Amino acid sequence: MSLFDKYLKGWRFRTNRPSFESGEELQLFVTDIEDDTLIARVGDSFIHISDGVPALVGTRVRVRVDSFDADSHVGNATLLEPIDSE
Amino acid sequence: MSEESTDTEIDAELAQAAAAQDQPEIEFYGGKWMSTLPIVLFIVWAIVQSGVLRISDTTGLVAGMLIALIVGMLFVKGDWTTYANTIFDGMTQRVAATAIVAWLWAGMFAETIQTGGFVSGLVWAADVFNVGPALFPAVVFILAGLLATGIGTGYGTTVAFTTLVFPAGVVLGASPELLFGAILSGAAFGDNLAPVSDTTIVSAVTQESDIGGVVASRFKYAIIAAVLAFIGYLIAGSMMSGESVSQSAQSLFVANSNPLGLVHLVSMFVVIITAVLGRHIIEAISWGLIVAVVLNLLLGLASLSDMLVFQVSEQFGLAQSLSGLPFIELVAPAETGVSGSIYSGAAGFFPLAILVLLIVAGSRIMIRGGGFDAIQDWLLNTVATSVRRAETVMVLVTATANAMITINTAAEIAVAPYIARLGEKFNINGYRRANILDANTTALGYIFPWAGGVLVGYAQIQNLPGQFDWFTRSMVVEPIDVWPLVFHGWLLFGVFIVAALTGFGLEYVSDRESTEVTRV
Repeated sequence: MSLFDKYLKGWRFRTNRPSFESGEELQLFVTDIEDDTLIARVGDSFIHISDGVPALVGTRVRVRVDSFDADSHVGNATLLEPIDSE
Repeated sequence: MSEESTDTEIDAELAQAAAAQDQPEIEFYGGKWMSTLPIVLFIVWAIVQSGVLRISDTTGLVAGMLIALIVGMLFVKGDWTTYANTIFDGMTQRVAATAIVAWLWAGMFAETIQTGGFVSGLVWAADVFNVGPALFPAVVFILAGLLATGIGTGYGTTVAFTTLVFPAGVVLGASPELLFGAILSGAAFGDNLAPVSDTTIVSAVTQESDIGGVVASRFKYAIIAAVLAFIGYLIAGSMMSGESVSQSAQSLFVANSNPLGLVHLVSMFVVIITAVLGRHIIEAISWGLIVAVVLNLLLGLASLSDMLVFQVSEQFGLAQSLSGLPFIELVAPAETGVSGSIYSGAAGFFPLAILVLLIVAGSRIMIRGGGFDAIQDWLLNTVATSVRRAETVMVLVTATANAMITINTAAEIAVAPYIARLGEKFNINGYRRANILDANTTALGYIFPWAGGVLVGYAQIQNLPGQFDWFTRSMVVEPIDVWPLVFHGWLLFGVFIVAALTGFGLEYVSDRESTEVTRV
């Protein structure tokens, strides 16, 4: 991204419930864990991440979105790799 | 500042803050909230002294802070040693020293340029270009904003502009309150946006984002607020009248104004260019000071004794043989001393420097006593239930921190971990977090009457009656009178409240990956 593009980015009103496409690869913070399932809350949308370990809560991970319901704003994703590996 | 030195300094500041978190907590009777007592007492004292009793005496505020620290100690459980040691720890923080150094250097520099007739030059230019009292505050806002963005220190800019540009505006008939507000607005703009500003660097580093990206992403908020503030100063400038400088004094000052003083624009450019080239602010201002002294002497704008003079008793044995030296002046025995622009430029900040050290000591007690945590946790857990509310809380948390810590870099360092924690809970992008953090600490750091930025400008303004015959006490702007007129500060705060409530400029972690901060 050029420096000029950086100045133009973000001039818009962003929804509080973002949607995602199946197959999309994302970088996210794991924000919570519920019954062994990691959860990344993005704004007021939620993505459930399979194959995670509790130690990943509070760290960044890369995931691939498997499905996302645009009505309930809840989706599922597969963990690809942890980013903040200690 | 060079990238390497800046990085090391900020690292040292952040490491110091992190180490403080690990030290033993101070326990208070009445719970964690009681650790806010010294700072709360000080704020009450400041409001009563400046606002109610209308006494503007910085040393009075020092007395208030000392008493507040003693009263706080009476509520400490067990051994008072930890409390006492925390005062030491707080006072030796780098952030406080950084602010004081900027004031001392900028003070010497600004007074030396003033002695060299820069104010007279500005009045000449304003007269020639027909910049009247209505337009003056708006122009001052832009110029202060440019200087602060160039040199990266809003405090230094405030010192320079209150010494040099403020009196020029007053003599031309602009409203002193509005002028001071415009100067503080420009300083806030620069502190917020300058890539070399301490606050910019702290905001980027603590939210794990690159400085270039942070500056680019915050431009949209800053420019919206700045355009509105500029329009505000144009409108207010035409509505608010200035103090009536006696007509004859004004005409005389304008008629005698001398364009030669404008040569000190060169001294100022030396500072800006040296700072932009990445030199430390002490080095940049020192070069500017050297150039200013040389120009004063070469062009006969000021004598050596105007800048530094030893006033020796005429009854002193060696007096007569020393009297030929250009920096010696013989005076009556009761009037001995050292004087000149370099002396008075630095001396004007001594009470404020002590006050700032005591305030950061008080804020360190609040952090170590858990009061700061208690405030943050209460806001985080009771209010932040959706992303819009979370962002609004982030804006309010930074504002509260700044109200209580008053030195904007120190406030930013204290509140940064909470912004990171809360922002990450909603996957808010690092750029956005850095922008919320910086904008609101810098904006409010130039608004509250007890804030470092306001007090440092006031320290300069209250010296002006001694420096210009026509400048009367009624033209001195009290800190309590300027806060509604810091338009850019208020608008920047407002822009972020609106942005938090509507999602304007909001980016999630998944929207854009911020480049990691590169370490030298």
